[in-house]
Amino acid sequence: MNPEPFLQLNRVIHEKGRLAIMSMLAASPELSFTELRDALTMTDGNLTTHIRALQQEGYISVTKSYRNNRPLTTCSLTPAGRKAFAEYINLLEQIVRQNKGK
Amino acid sequence: MLANFYFVMQSVGMETNWAVEHLQTIRTLMERSAVYRRALAPIMLFAGIMGVAAAVIGLLFRLDSMAAFGTLWLGTAAIVVVGALLITRQQALKDKEPFWSPPTRRVAQALLPPLFAGMFLGVVFALLPGGGPVDFILLLPFLWALFYGLALHAAGFFMPRGVKWFGWIYIGLASGVLCFFTIVQPDLDFSIHWLMGFFFGVPHLAYGAYLYLTEKGKNAA
Repeated sequence: MNPEPFLQLNRVIHEKGRLAIMSMLAASPELSFTELRDALTMTDGNLTTHIRALQQEGYISVTKSYRNNRPLTTCSLTPAGRKAFAEYINLLEQIVRQNKGK
Repeated sequence: MLANFYFVMQSVGMETNWAVEHLQTIRTLMERSAVYRRALAPIMLFAGIMGVAAAVIGLLFRLDSMAAFGTLWLGTAAIVVVGALLITRQQALKDKEPFWSPPTRRVAQALLPPLFAGMFLGVVFALLPGGGPVDFILLLPFLWALFYGLALHAAGFFMPRGVKWFGWIYIGLASGVLCFFTIVQPDLDFSIHWLMGFFFGVPHLAYGAYLYLTEKGKNAA
């Protein structure tokens, strides 16, 4: 078995919580903090930590604004994040194909 | 040697499973993320107004026969479905988005089986000649409300969380009122249109008003 694709997997995205956030954001132009928290049933603190980690890697951008006089935090994938996510998916598919061929 | 072979085979299997499961999870999350984003308040208010209007028409014109009841309420349901689609299309055009988008398609697919089952029962028992026993008409509002609740609950997976709860409210309401009439007050005499208006008018108007206040930005867009 060729371990190469497995070793190439992006460790930042590979973490369960961060992968879930990236997956959600990959399918929507943007999602609010509340939408992400509710959909992934994460705590505020947990979600904030993961968002910060992804933001530091440049994978997501966070915008703070106001809607109906209430603060609104929205997250979206950056082009770098989209590229990293696509590469991660490609590697997973490669692993599946590689093992199916055996 | 044999143990080593088993270990390698197991690892290969585990890795494939792991990758497949990961891909499946990602797919599910992406599907959930692409939620239906159309404003629901106008649709709910329209459905509520139509529900109340149909109940008033049924009461005023005493449309109590099986055929009249079935025609009135199945016709109202058809108008509401067409109206809801038109409102959705209008919103999509306004947002410069495709009308028949993947989330809209998934919502429609989830709604379809329970709604079809409800409509089928209505056609068979209220419209077809010699359909069901006359008393069955009394059960139809409860069955329709239950099927409608199930439809909302199924569609709620791809919609804002409140829709799932709204589905539960319908299921609870239909079950509760049915229990009330069968156990507590079995001899209560009233027009069936009151019940239909209560089931399909009032909750829609209440939820529509709630959504109108909470998704104000979206409704204004």
